[in-house]
Amino acid sequence: MADPISILMTALSPINIGLALLGVLAGTVIGALPGLSATMAIAVLVPFTFVMDPASGLIMLGAIYTGAIYGGAFAAILVNTPGTPSAIATTFDGFPMAKRGDGDLAVTLATIASVVGGLVGAILLMTLSPKLATLALAFQSTEYFWLAILGLTLIATLSQGNVVKGMIGGMFGLFLSMIGVAVIGGDVRFTGGMPSMLGGIDIVAALIGLYCIPVLINMVASAGQHLEPAPARGFRFFEALGIALRDWVNLLRSSVIGTLVGILPGAGGSIASLISYAEARRSSPNAENFGKGEPSGLLATESANNATVGGGFIPTLVLGIPGTPPDAVIMGALMVQGIRTGPALFQSGDGTVYIFMLGLLVATLLMLPTGLIVGRYAFRFIANVPKAMLVPLIAFMTIVGSFAIHANPHDVLVMVVMGLVGWVAARGGYGASPIVLGLVLGQIAEQGFMRAWMIGGARGDFMGQLLLNRPISWGIVALITVTLCLPLLRRKRSEALGTGGQAQVARARADMPGLTGAVLFLFLGLWILLQAQTLSTMAAAFPLAVGAAMVLLSALQMLRSWRGGGEAGLEGANDDATGRGLVLAVTMLGWALIFPHLGMFTTSLLASAILTMTGQFGRPGPRRLLAYGVGILLMVSAFYLLMVRVLNIPMPVGILP
Amino acid sequence: MFGTTKLRYFIAAAGAALTFSGTAAMAYPDGPVNYIIPFNAGGESDITARYQQPYFKELTGQDLIVQYLPGAGGAQAWSGLNNHNGDGMTIMGTNLPHIILQPMLQDPGYQTDDISNVYMFHFTPDALLVRKDSPFETVQDVIDAATQNPGSVIAGGTGTNSANHVANQVFMNETGAMTTYIPYSGTGATESGLLGGEVDVLWGYTTVAARQADAVRMLAVATEERHPLFPDVPTFGELGINMVGGAYRGIAVPASTPEETKQELSDLIGQINADPEFRKRMEDDGYALIDVPYQEIEGFMDDRKAAYQAVSEQLQSQN
Repeated sequence: MADPISILMTALSPINIGLALLGVLAGTVIGALPGLSATMAIAVLVPFTFVMDPASGLIMLGAIYTGAIYGGAFAAILVNTPGTPSAIATTFDGFPMAKRGDGDLAVTLATIASVVGGLVGAILLMTLSPKLATLALAFQSTEYFWLAILGLTLIATLSQGNVVKGMIGGMFGLFLSMIGVAVIGGDVRFTGGMPSMLGGIDIVAALIGLYCIPVLINMVASAGQHLEPAPARGFRFFEALGIALRDWVNLLRSSVIGTLVGILPGAGGSIASLISYAEARRSSPNAENFGKGEPSGLLATESANNATVGGGFIPTLVLGIPGTPPDAVIMGALMVQGIRTGPALFQSGDGTVYIFMLGLLVATLLMLPTGLIVGRYAFRFIANVPKAMLVPLIAFMTIVGSFAIHANPHDVLVMVVMGLVGWVAARGGYGASPIVLGLVLGQIAEQGFMRAWMIGGARGDFMGQLLLNRPISWGIVALITVTLCLPLLRRKRSEALGTGGQAQVARARADMPGLTGAVLFLFLGLWILLQAQTLSTMAAAFPLAVGAAMVLLSALQMLRSWRGGGEAGLEGANDDATGRGLVLAVTMLGWALIFPHLGMFTTSLLASAILTMTGQFGRPGPRRLLAYGVGILLMVSAFYLLMVRVLNIPMPVGILP
Repeated sequence: MFGTTKLRYFIAAAGAALTFSGTAAMAYPDGPVNYIIPFNAGGESDITARYQQPYFKELTGQDLIVQYLPGAGGAQAWSGLNNHNGDGMTIMGTNLPHIILQPMLQDPGYQTDDISNVYMFHFTPDALLVRKDSPFETVQDVIDAATQNPGSVIAGGTGTNSANHVANQVFMNETGAMTTYIPYSGTGATESGLLGGEVDVLWGYTTVAARQADAVRMLAVATEERHPLFPDVPTFGELGINMVGGAYRGIAVPASTPEETKQELSDLIGQINADPEFRKRMEDDGYALIDVPYQEIEGFMDDRKAAYQAVSEQLQSQN
């Protein structure tokens, strides 16, 4: 079994290639639907692989995994909703590209980047696994803390207009990440006495809400098309390939960053893509275009997140420590198949693991044709479907998707509330992305720091534990310093050249929305400080720091807003609060509250009908109305059946289905 | 002649099929059963559920569908257990000490008695682990270091107020040693903490030692008798330390489930536990099988509650 020829033959057998294709296709579709994650897809399919040959089963699981990570890009690009945390940074440039009519190009770029990233990850997995696995062990609590801080420095980048507001948003995100039972200390924090909040705020639910609800509100606020209408131009494959080839340094660097971050258990695709995005922006000559539809940003994030697939398998297979949540499911499947991952695996001479690696490589290559075709249809569909249909469709996807995460109606409510909070905050100039960064990185930062503190305390050498004796941390801290200082240097230079003048045009008028927001955040900060008094030292340290920072920053921002220093002009801040937006908000909230009692199917039909009316501009003819009705019925039925029959997600028992 | 033989076979087969389908339709379960694991995939709760899966299918002809509902150390799932339909089609994994300690220490949204356990099928015995190149060769080495220099030995484990945290506290109580306990989120993180040298010793389980093989050394195990997979590793009892325990795993149903169904489910899990192939598989991975069927659950839970009560008060006073 272990000789290379038979391994090659097995990996490339028609049945295994067929399974890989099937896996990539299923993974791409599932990944494209917000809320349906790679972990879920794999967990659902694991039992089916038990009847297969172990190698075939594994190839299929690997293919689903890589497909799902890639599929997340579609929702990110076309509707500004990261289907998985890995695709957060994809929204930054992907959605602006789609907005201006380059959605087809963005999808093709994402496909090429994902294939390259996936290949780099898979090849490093095949060639350097045992050596790279030591990296997973060199990263300890201290390094995770600094890594999270490096991720948080992106806030400065993402809040170009107003760094103080961005930092307040980041603190708000950190606060959200602390809700629930503290891992260190064991205290219950900030749940407001609600048992349903014990589990904290689910990151995926919050992501869907924060990014997608404002998009929906914007969609109904104006009559124009959701995306700039685009002529049928084919895949724009060679155009995209040209862009990718010219940007090969970025592509390769991001793939390597993705693989390395993927190796770190618990870090994952979100951090990998955020860090490579930051690096791409730092080293790009077009840094100011990032966040406005810059292809390099898209290439960086999409290559990095798919590289984490191969990277994540390295600790999984070599150390028996799963690199990512999907890896954990696959590791469980391996154990059930009788293959024990860990130190013994590579010495056992079992060929299965090599067949699997080759299969992963094949699946990655298959992503190119599959992705281009699926992507083309997805883009055409989103770009051409009338708003009256698109609004209920996307709204329904957010509801179903956030419910599917844990089959828990609570997550749906969290999704909608976070979306509304994010939308209101955006009107005050507090963008969603800093909040998301805080939420995603908060737990890694807090636990990393607290462990370093406790260990340093026990060893009597806190600074040594936190930084001085940790060479890898020096490197990360150096990167943090560079990332923070570079924009200052750039600004100095542009000021010296005399081009900085525009930014200095002072607005004499007070920024009232910003001021209101700052006052609210000031109160939240004070409440956090007050609540922290009741907690144990271990659980209170981080809340105290975050609360204090929030109070200080908010006070600073109040001053700035009063003097007119704050400028509202961030993400989605220029929408009209029309009646339609209000109807949408109320409908979504009602949907989330009513469906556990009335039944998902019935509630969704009703809510979709209301949203169709909300998304319709002008009076539709009877034929059109009929088409909408049939469309809604089909859509709701199809998703409902997918959830109940295919994915086995238990629906809450309501009065009606 | 040939024709009649064939016919006879056919009748026999049809008869068998009828009887079979007849019994299958009557008995529990009459549809796929959702098995909710209150943790992420890949952990011990998940893997043992996966081991049960094929045997369940073999015995009942129905699928056992594993679902994950992680959050708040399991509390998210347990606090919602009784909201599910009590028709036996939804069952949930339960873990000790979690379902006893969580309600003792805070309000997790459920009480221990809200959870209707029907069977406890195995436990992962607490084990004290070190890296293979650790200077600690025996448990006594650890005790000496942690007594001479209180707090200087760093002990890792999963979570606060968890099985590992309890084990560390019981160990300190029994030996007078003083360690510093560092909580991690998830077993994987603790293993990289031990292998990477961030912690000196790890409160883990026999399963971790089985998985990590030569990379770690197990100093002692908290079972009554030595574990079959580790004949050379002493129990704590042999070393004069009164420690038997670990993380127990069982299955619970919503409170509204009929007694009859609870009993049937208990029988079913017992049958799986009795399968020699299943036993071998579990033991090869380091699990220790136990059989606490529905009738004996109450007594078992009372014993465990008493055992955790004292430790729980200590953990609380530290906060």
